[in-house]
Amino acid sequence: MLFWCFAVGSVVTAYLVFRTDSMVRAAFWLLASFVGVGAILVMLAAEFLGMVLILMMAGEMLIMAVVMVMYMMNPAGLNPMFMVHQHRFAVGAGVVSFVGLSVVALTVDFPDQPVDPAIDATAELGFELLGDSMLVFQTAGVALLATMIGAIALASRNGRFGTADEGSQEPSLEIEELESP
Amino acid sequence: MRAYLEPGAAVASVAFAMAIGVYVVAVIDGTASRLVAGGGRSDLGALLVDPLRTVAVLLTQRRRRTERPDAPGWALAPGLLGGLAATGLAVVPVGPGAAVADPSTGFVVFSAAIAFVMIAVFLHGWSPNSLFPMIGAYRYGAQALSLQIPFLLAMLATALPAESLAVMDIVEAQADLWNVVRQPLGLPIYLMVGVGVSFWGPLNLPDGADLVGGTSAEDAGTDRLAWEIARAAMLVAIAAMGAAVFLGGWWGPLLPGPVWMVLKTMGVLAVLVASRHLLARVRIEPFVVACWAVFIPLALVNIFVSGALLL
Repeated sequence: MLFWCFAVGSVVTAYLVFRTDSMVRAAFWLLASFVGVGAILVMLAAEFLGMVLILMMAGEMLIMAVVMVMYMMNPAGLNPMFMVHQHRFAVGAGVVSFVGLSVVALTVDFPDQPVDPAIDATAELGFELLGDSMLVFQTAGVALLATMIGAIALASRNGRFGTADEGSQEPSLEIEELESP
Repeated sequence: MRAYLEPGAAVASVAFAMAIGVYVVAVIDGTASRLVAGGGRSDLGALLVDPLRTVAVLLTQRRRRTERPDAPGWALAPGLLGGLAATGLAVVPVGPGAAVADPSTGFVVFSAAIAFVMIAVFLHGWSPNSLFPMIGAYRYGAQALSLQIPFLLAMLATALPAESLAVMDIVEAQADLWNVVRQPLGLPIYLMVGVGVSFWGPLNLPDGADLVGGTSAEDAGTDRLAWEIARAAMLVAIAAMGAAVFLGGWWGPLLPGPVWMVLKTMGVLAVLVASRHLLARVRIEPFVVACWAVFIPLALVNIFVSGALLL
């Protein structure tokens, strides 16, 4: 019962992402959809993954809303606007992915092994990550950290050649003499 | 998944803790205001009754409307913030084996609740379709995004000695040595972040007076009451979690565990609430820089030291 609430909720909110007329609302509908997916993961005994999904998406959707609003020159995000583009391609892609996923869901023989409630899935995941996958995990972590530092360095206002907004002004070719009063 | 109360009992106990906590926040705030700023009403009775008087005034005030607001979002925001505070409180254990919920990922649940606060505050400022609330909303976006990483790092360091993400285990691991001694950097960072997350006192930037009330500029009556209650509840949840993960939770001599837990929560709460009257407000720009350039490195040092102590 709870599963169906979250499942239907996720699908409906995901649909509303494309039906709303505001970027901020779209971001928050998407967030609601992700929370539903996270809750389903928790119900599948993948507590850690589910909660981390919910934790991460909160920040990410807010950043996404802010960035979209920044690029759209619509500071409030409350002005109505059209949220759908490339209709034919979108409809085609939607139909193809729906049919594909449906075929997978109906034909594949999914394993049916309920997790023993005594097993601590979080600890198991930790052993999995820090056992054989330690190197992959650490490499990905360092790469992500380097990306973050690089992005901050690129986006920073204070650069090597002064502040970014000063640098964006075209320098004058000649130094003009100041007129004496 | 581990121990859980019956749903009804769980909701009732969290609601009870929240109600008491919010009232205590109001009383401490009034007391601190009188002690620090002077003036105001002095006798104990008045200090105890004043919060109720404020509630009565707000309940009789008319609500305000703006032009073309996002009404569902506006109505949802205080409820969401209060619900997040309740979620945070629910994973704090009050005694050995006594918690409303003790999932093996309690730490992540609490962090997720803190992360969603920025959604609640942004929604609250964005929905009225009004200038000052919206500036407050974006300001909180900057503030909260800067706070999240130091917050997670400071909390994560406390999970290291316990080798578990369950809050119960984190408290259990402090039997010999409280985390406040083991990680002296952790508690100050946590307190700073706590003030920032619940946008209180020196870090009340989204609802500040310089924005004529910021995200709550258009709130009056029950709207404002709900928002203030939710914010105070958030402070209570942060104080309770701080007492659990840094001050050893229920560990203490002589008195029974839950009493220690309540005392420590009150202590942290008093520090958090009094900061509003003791510290000057901070400007958002230097604060964001300080978060990224000072607090994240400090929190990383904290984690490295905690990890080195473990090895």
